[in-house]
Amino acid sequence: MPETIQAYIEAVEAQIRWRRARSVVSLELRRHLEDQRDAFAAEGLGDAEHLAVEEMGDPVSVGTELDRLHRPRPQWGLLGLTIALACAGAFLRVWLTRNEGLDAVSPVRAALALVLGTAALLGAYFLDFTSLARHARGIYAGALAAGVLSWWLLPNVNRTAYCTRYIILLYPVVYALWLYSCRGSTWGHFILAVAGGIPLAVICLLAPFTFGLLILLVCGLVSLLCAIRMGWFGPGRWKFAGTALALAAGMPALFFGLGYGEGFIVRLRLALHPELDPLGRGYWGWMTKMCLRDAPFIRRDGHSSFGIGGGGRVYGGFFGDAKGYVEFSVDQEFLPLRLLMGWGWLAYLLLMAAIAALLVWLLVRCLRQRQQLGRLTALAVVLSLGLETLFSAALNLGFTIFSSHLPLVVGNLHTVIDMALIGLALSVFRGGGILRDEPAGEVRRPVFPWRVKISIISTKET
Amino acid sequence: MELDKSLVSGSMAMLVLKLLEDGDKYGYQMIEELRRRSDDTFHLKAGTLYPLLHGLEEKGLVTAYEGEAAAGKPRRYYHLTKQGRGALREKEAAWNDYARAVGRVLEGGACLA
Repeated sequence: MPETIQAYIEAVEAQIRWRRARSVVSLELRRHLEDQRDAFAAEGLGDAEHLAVEEMGDPVSVGTELDRLHRPRPQWGLLGLTIALACAGAFLRVWLTRNEGLDAVSPVRAALALVLGTAALLGAYFLDFTSLARHARGIYAGALAAGVLSWWLLPNVNRTAYCTRYIILLYPVVYALWLYSCRGSTWGHFILAVAGGIPLAVICLLAPFTFGLLILLVCGLVSLLCAIRMGWFGPGRWKFAGTALALAAGMPALFFGLGYGEGFIVRLRLALHPELDPLGRGYWGWMTKMCLRDAPFIRRDGHSSFGIGGGGRVYGGFFGDAKGYVEFSVDQEFLPLRLLMGWGWLAYLLLMAAIAALLVWLLVRCLRQRQQLGRLTALAVVLSLGLETLFSAALNLGFTIFSSHLPLVVGNLHTVIDMALIGLALSVFRGGGILRDEPAGEVRRPVFPWRVKISIISTKET
Repeated sequence: MELDKSLVSGSMAMLVLKLLEDGDKYGYQMIEELRRRSDDTFHLKAGTLYPLLHGLEEKGLVTAYEGEAAAGKPRRYYHLTKQGRGALREKEAAWNDYARAVGRVLEGGACLA
């Protein structure tokens, strides 16, 4: 039987195999032992520490029991589904573009993306996500710097910083971490939390990446409201929520005030009625709808009156009754449309159902998370992937409001980033159960701490 | 009289949930409260309590959070959830049925008219 508190704690910890659980469990036991020791000392008993240790019971059986209770929760099902979808996506990218010459996706590149994506998925999965929270402001500054430098230094194509766009896909998670670092009980903390979104939004405008900005705004608003609800800015939740909603409502006013409104309304109108300008700005939507008109449930033959042929050409009677080949070199974002055209609705619906199942599964796990940071991080991942899926489905059904990629299917680099984000969410599900939050409304910290203190991490308490 | 431990172990979860019914508590508080309420009959060891609490938390019957105890000391408090209240009601009802049945047997059994 150990003689001292430290020896007892070490004996218990030796039985607990999951390293992350040790610190949380031993902290609670240590506090209890200290309370007991102080109580015995107050009663005037000699060797109070030894008596306190004896009161605890056998450290080996206590540790064994705690080891049985505290294990990481493997997410094999979600890992398997993610990798399976990424494999299917890589296959579809290569197969459906195989006849397109220079536009064909290289099998080597698709395989490389799959390998890198799996490495990113597993790397993020085994990562202790609380380490991100400890360096939240450093990560925020790094993400901002990466966005600015990629926009400034890397080559732009058609006045668009494509590399910056990939970095922007990470911004919803970066903003969730930023919010966590801004917890506090004053308006200063809240204002800083809101202000942190502005530089990220500016990068989206510089890129320019309108859809990235939309994802950031939606995920940012939801994350901010969740943070307020969880009491990250202390009491007075309605005041903070009201301010956040008022700011959100003011965004369209600012948007219209800056002169973007009219263009957006025209875009929306043409997305809903592409036939109004079939050879101009409604071209993509109109062509897509024409293609879909002829798509069977299951394509049994290799011929159709409409279809995407070699070189991205589409055959069909798009222009009145005249039939002929029409140049319709669809972009990568239209890969689901190619699937639909090539194999029919069933294949498309099966693919979308599998992605929807993954997202719903992630969302259910996310809502079950008790630890607040974990829940918010996972929610940011699920929301951004969900928005991408939603707008990709709309795009491929002829509503071309935003150009969005289908997660895990469209784009090699996109797939790597999607897998990294999903890995981060799975890391939360795997290890978040052991973590605890500080009590709401009792967080007193300066507005500008560089490193964020997380009470759950501290192991040795004096 | 020394209490038979097997009598207590089966109902310990119910007792712990009952302690949390009237307010959030941390482990040391629970042991002291149990001792006080049972007139020093139940001497629950911390080594038994914490695995039990963690198991209840795993089942969603209690939640834990970091709070401040007396003199500003941080402690891990436990809170009875709605699900935990339901489980407590069920355990109390089962225990009362059991106690009544044991009582009837000890008193000679129910009389048939």
